[in-house]
Amino acid sequence: MDRVVAWASRLVFVFLYLPIAALIVYSLNASDVNYRWEGVSLRWYAELFADRMLLETLRTSLIVGLLAALLATALGFLSSMALVRFRVKGRGAFLGAILIPLIVPEIVLGVSLLTVFSTVGVPAGFLTLVLGHTVITLPLATLVQMGAMSSLDPSLPDAAADLGAGAFTTFRRVTFPLLRPAILAAFLLSFATSFGNIVISTFTSGVGTTTLPLRIYSQLKTGLTPELNALGTLLVVLTLAIILIVGVGQLRRILAGGPDQT
Amino acid sequence: MSRTRRDNLAGALMMVPASIVILVLVIVPMVIIARDSFAVSDPLGGNLGGFTLDNYAKLLDPVYAKTMGYSLGMAVLNAIVCTVVGYVVAYYIATRPARRQPLLLLLVIIPFLTDFLVRTFSWITLLGSGGPIIGLAKLVGIPATSLVPSQAAVVLSLLYAFLPVAVFPIYASMRAIDPSLREAAADLGAGWWQTHARVYVPLSASGLASSVMLTFVPTLGVFVIPVLLGGGKDPLVGNLIVTLFTEFRNEPLGAALSMVVLVLMLVTVALAGVVTRVVTKKRSA
Repeated sequence: MDRVVAWASRLVFVFLYLPIAALIVYSLNASDVNYRWEGVSLRWYAELFADRMLLETLRTSLIVGLLAALLATALGFLSSMALVRFRVKGRGAFLGAILIPLIVPEIVLGVSLLTVFSTVGVPAGFLTLVLGHTVITLPLATLVQMGAMSSLDPSLPDAAADLGAGAFTTFRRVTFPLLRPAILAAFLLSFATSFGNIVISTFTSGVGTTTLPLRIYSQLKTGLTPELNALGTLLVVLTLAIILIVGVGQLRRILAGGPDQT
Repeated sequence: MSRTRRDNLAGALMMVPASIVILVLVIVPMVIIARDSFAVSDPLGGNLGGFTLDNYAKLLDPVYAKTMGYSLGMAVLNAIVCTVVGYVVAYYIATRPARRQPLLLLLVIIPFLTDFLVRTFSWITLLGSGGPIIGLAKLVGIPATSLVPSQAAVVLSLLYAFLPVAVFPIYASMRAIDPSLREAAADLGAGWWQTHARVYVPLSASGLASSVMLTFVPTLGVFVIPVLLGGGKDPLVGNLIVTLFTEFRNEPLGAALSMVVLVLMLVTVALAGVVTRVVTKKRSA
């Protein structure tokens, strides 16, 4: 039976990469239409960079993604310091509150945000997008940094203090450098989450702040074009770059943290 | 180090920004939605305030009940398929040599971190007319034109979208299982099925419960896949919520539907907790 499991699993891995392979191959299709193959060409990549509407939405997504990731990482950093270093009272409830967006279905968060923004009278645009994306990336940003902080040897900052370093110097020279990989991971994973988000954006974007996924989605409703395959391929490359920077070890700890990690 | 008053103050201050964000952008909005779900709506769907259960009653109308029933069926199916396939893959990865596991896990992580829409629309290329699968079917003499839109395409891409979130928690709980238990079970005469039923499934119960939790209700909220791969003929609850809020502007009804989804999620989380606790208790008893 273990051999059946092994073969079934290999098939699942094929299943996981078949769509990505098709995406890449068809992005090189010279034909005007996706469903007819007419030889290899890079023309769709060229057309992609000439598509002004698309580049505009790309800019929106980049700005929103960077701001939301920055905010989520900063908030997550402070929260994990409070939770791990200072062990404040009521930290169970606090952590629970931060993790609410992980439990509540995204679509419910989306309509709740839409309702509150329209009640208060905040116009849908960059602000609402950034706030919405910050909310959904905050749990991840906090968990990533919390994990790194709790595996940090607490005697290191103490040793620095014993050697005469002040609180700020200890943070700048000892704590921060040790946490840098986790901070970067929190930032990049938050960015990736925001950049690909469609649910929250559906309810928080306004006129003129269409994000890239929203644009792709509305284009797809009229049909898949080879240009979108080229764009998809570039997004796969972006994902690979983020994975490379964050590192497999750290990703494994974040996504499938086992018993030997705290 | 003893806790000083200054440390407590610093820690408390650090909690303030995130607390404000969660309070203002998550808790208050959900309270408003809960309130709106009981509000009276005018004929155009505008919010008139007041208190009524009409919105919830309206969800029992055949139009909405049909979508709810179909969505629940799809969600149950997707949760089961994801958890079973996730179990198989997680078991495979967890029983490989330790140095090979990170690479195999990476193979699950890459599609998971790839843009959701890209992951979805690549299925149109794969299953559509002129795609490799239709081409293969024609080659062996099966007359086929396109598998998109179809329910099969919806089921496949739902599995594709949710499989990684099933694999991660199951793998995490399986990694904690001592491999010698498998040998012990074999020595005691347990076959493959028995080893899994009596050892692996109980010991990975928390991971399996998380898998169901992360795939069941979230499937209800999906709205992209039914449109792109199902041709929009069979909407899920997610499509209904989007339509109610962005097209019909019937906030009270949309709020009621959102509350149903939220309550279902809370019930699932509670059940997952109970299952995990019962299995763990049974083991230690």
